[in-house]
Amino acid sequence: MSRTAAASQRARFPDPERPQIAFTDVTLDLGGKTIIENISLDVKPGEFLCIIGASGCGKTTALRLAAGLYQPTSGTVTFDGKPMLMPRRDIAIVFQDYGKALLPWRTAAGNVSLALEASGMPSSLRAARIDELLKKVGLPSHAGKYPAEMSGGMQQRLQIARCLAQEPKALLMDEPFGALDAMTRQGLQDEVLSLVEASKATVIFVTHDLEEAIYLGDRVIGLLPHPGRIGIELRIDLPRPRDQLTTREDPEFLRLRRELFDFIKASEA
Amino acid sequence: MIPERAKAFLLPVAVLVLLEIWARAIHLQSDSLAPPSAVAIALVEAFKDGSVLTATRDTLISAFAGLAIGGAVGLAFGIALGIFRIFDRLMEVTIESIRPIPSIALLPIALIALGFGYRMEIVIVAFACVWPILILSRAAIGGIEPRLIEVSRALRLSPADRVRKIIIPAALPRIFLAFRLAAGIALIVAVTVEIAINPIGLGAAIMTAQQALRPDLMLAYLLWIGVIGYLLNTGLVVAQRHLFGRAALVREAT
Amino acid sequence: MNRSVLIWRAASFLVAAGFVALWQMIANLRLVSPVFLPGPDRAWASLVRGFSGGDLWSKLLGTLEHMAYGWLVASIAGIALGAAIGSSRTMRSYVAPSLEFLRPLPVSAIIPVAIAMFGLTQGMALFVIAFGAIWPMLLATIHGFAAVEPRLYEVARSLHMSRLAVIFKIALPSASPDILSGMRLSLTVALILSVVCEILAGLDGLGHWILLSARSFRSADLFAGVILLGVIGYLTALAMSMVERRLLKWRPGDR
Repeated sequence: MSRTAAASQRARFPDPERPQIAFTDVTLDLGGKTIIENISLDVKPGEFLCIIGASGCGKTTALRLAAGLYQPTSGTVTFDGKPMLMPRRDIAIVFQDYGKALLPWRTAAGNVSLALEASGMPSSLRAARIDELLKKVGLPSHAGKYPAEMSGGMQQRLQIARCLAQEPKALLMDEPFGALDAMTRQGLQDEVLSLVEASKATVIFVTHDLEEAIYLGDRVIGLLPHPGRIGIELRIDLPRPRDQLTTREDPEFLRLRRELFDFIKASEA
Repeated sequence: MIPERAKAFLLPVAVLVLLEIWARAIHLQSDSLAPPSAVAIALVEAFKDGSVLTATRDTLISAFAGLAIGGAVGLAFGIALGIFRIFDRLMEVTIESIRPIPSIALLPIALIALGFGYRMEIVIVAFACVWPILILSRAAIGGIEPRLIEVSRALRLSPADRVRKIIIPAALPRIFLAFRLAAGIALIVAVTVEIAINPIGLGAAIMTAQQALRPDLMLAYLLWIGVIGYLLNTGLVVAQRHLFGRAALVREAT
Repeated sequence: MNRSVLIWRAASFLVAAGFVALWQMIANLRLVSPVFLPGPDRAWASLVRGFSGGDLWSKLLGTLEHMAYGWLVASIAGIALGAAIGSSRTMRSYVAPSLEFLRPLPVSAIIPVAIAMFGLTQGMALFVIAFGAIWPMLLATIHGFAAVEPRLYEVARSLHMSRLAVIFKIALPSASPDILSGMRLSLTVALILSVVCEILAGLDGLGHWILLSARSFRSADLFAGVILLGVIGYLTALAMSMVERRLLKWRPGDR
């Protein structure tokens, strides 16, 4: 690695060994039920962590705790060492129900602009940044369209563009492709990988699709349900950049898939 | 934690108590306001001498008669417009021209044609009720699941049978809703006509109380009119739920 | 606008014209006494007369003024109050049930109270019209603010949007369809109450005009006034539709 590259890497991640997101013995009770119990995990800066599990295992809850939308009943959730008491502007959340997370009365450009307005960017600079972001997610000519005029895949990309406008240090994605068809999903998986590669953001990606988790992640954590606890943790040592055909045929991919499949089967029993 | 039910009553009870205390404290002498206790007493007195019941009967007769006539006309036209699209398109300009006329504008015409009394009020209420029922029953027919129409054709039902067995039952929940809304309108229009000019019913009673400088009786009638409106609406909501189940109410909310 | 729509619209006009011709025939044949039913020719003549030399303009403006002032006061108060109540769950649970009870109350019943307080004056009319017009606005605004998609509030928290920004950039636009439909209803109520107050208190306006015409058996003038009231109703509804269409063009167009 060249000296300037190493220097910029150090500036971005002051201490690459210290976890960026850390859960320490986190328990969350909601409505009288224990949703997750004693979860501890560390996410390193720039890491792509996937969380999988059967329905009701609390993976969305864990994500919302990392986002600061929920507060743990006991234990702590920290970001860069500081406790997450409320959402942070530099942590972006990509919701599964993209239709509900976009402003239907604003155009695509308007939706991206919302994040820029919130961070106080002067209006003269916004237009260029909006163009840049829309181009990055592959919606360059759709700036004037309303969400209702866009397909599901396009709306999800728009949400991602708005999240990128927050210049996020971390990207929290809650089953973002769950509502989309298989082909759109695969296209977006690759897009997310390249966007994350470029921005070097830390990612926590929740999904119920085992193959998606292995394809995207550096690490996969599987949760057991009722209450949610960590049941399995796998390192994904597949080469990057990933490819939809070759990576999915890699024997290591198939082995990991088998292992996760057995885990899910056992956890549903 | 205060239970949800109690919260609903907290505000009105608090307001009434405060009003009572304030009115007593300043020895209220006014033509327009009276302490809640005086209002309650006036209402009870008016019940005892039968004036409330007479007035209520008069208003409700006018309202329901108008609703029945206007409803029948509106329903017949609405169903016809809903079934025969050509008729609907041809009548569009005529209907859209007459509909915006406020029913109260007919008051002077009805007055000189029919004089004071039930008939003029019924005519005005009927005119007001025709439109919501016409529009909504037309929409109810138009909103019938097309699949049902296809089924009726596949079963080769005669036109009369189709109307009787498929169209009317399918449209019935929304038609009932239309009548429920129109009932509210009927009451409002009836009371308004009475307040404006007609010397019968609750509207006339409340105006008379005001002119006699009896704020307690006036407010008593105001309260009673509110109660009647509430009971009418709630009664119809209960009937709707009973007849058509939750599905109809859910659809109304969307 | 495509051709078939235009053709049907023209045919519809022809049908309406046919009804007017029928009306003229009934009037000419004196099937109903001309004291009660003037022909369309006489009604039209009265309209022309009233506008070219007579009082009709000032009467029309009188009614429009009553409507406008009352409706404006009601809109501002209704939206402000509705926003305050609708955006707070605690407020809603205490206030909403009372409002639900008051919803079916005929608003014209407030007129005698207003007369007792203000006499038969313009002030009374303004109070009554504003009071009547505020209810649809208030209830619709509360509903609109209460129904804001909760996910959008989470987005706002994530972006650290200020409270003011949340109200003006998220809650208000989200509630705007409800608010606009409340405004539409309010306009109808304002028109009706204007007419009633003019009839009762003899205030300058079309309501007073039609009452006087009826009392002096000037049926042509009476019909002219009624037609004008219908025109006001039609034009205000049309104006609201146009405003709605412009402001709500982002809607997926389900209605």
